[in-house]
Amino acid sequence: MMEMPVSVGDAIPGFSREVVQSDINKYAEASGDFNPIHINEEFARTTPLGGTIAHGMLVLAYMSEMLARAFGEAWDLTGSFSARFRSPARPGDKLEVAGHVESVNNEGGIVRVTCSLTCRNQADEVVVSGEARVGLPVL
Amino acid sequence: MRAKVYAELPAGYDDLTPGHEFPPVEYVLDEASVSAYVEAVGAAARLHVPPLAVAARAIASLGDLMEMPAGTIHASQDFDFSALVPVGARVICVAKVLRKLSRGPMRMLTLEMVVSDTNGSVVQRGRSTVVLPGA
Repeated sequence: MMEMPVSVGDAIPGFSREVVQSDINKYAEASGDFNPIHINEEFARTTPLGGTIAHGMLVLAYMSEMLARAFGEAWDLTGSFSARFRSPARPGDKLEVAGHVESVNNEGGIVRVTCSLTCRNQADEVVVSGEARVGLPVL
Repeated sequence: MRAKVYAELPAGYDDLTPGHEFPPVEYVLDEASVSAYVEAVGAAARLHVPPLAVAARAIASLGDLMEMPAGTIHASQDFDFSALVPVGARVICVAKVLRKLSRGPMRMLTLEMVVSDTNGSVVQRGRSTVVLPGA
């Protein structure tokens, strides 16, 4: 198992993922979010976005998985997340999710780790930016 | 499968005011729906429900509560997780309007969602800001 990123400046191991329409469609089925901006190309072309986009929650799921890999069950149990959707993720985009530790504080027996996170596309545009916090027991 | 809702809905944007609390929505995070979510996002295998799967269903349930016109998009999202949710659990989501903003054709809503288990213990809180397309 990899070492947890618990020092200021530590990188959170990221990963890349290509956005494909079939994954967006699967996400719509799994979540129950059938907004046509995500799944109906004909409709989406008529909007200012000009085509379908991935659900913001699908992109957040990639970021959450990065944190789950880094912090294990502590993320699912104590995590918190503030995210802003900056630009759409479109089919064909190659997303890179990454993060690093911004601060570490010991609060009454719990280590609070605050992380800065981004998801960028192949043009280096920020798709999602955010901050995550997780509580870890002091060993 | 649609979630169980306890009142006549959906409400229109114009009917909503800050502080408006929607009726609770109840849903079951059964193995099939959790597996579909895990496959769709490429999540790691867990013995419990990935917290964003809980959140995704809560957010989707907003579509049963209020009119979400085609083209509604997500502007920001906050979460706080406070308990693991076992696969198969029944949870209840209560959503409330925190903020409403109309400027020209732009319409925004910020909604708070509190998801609890059937004992009333909060498992996660979320705050979503959505932008609705102009009328």
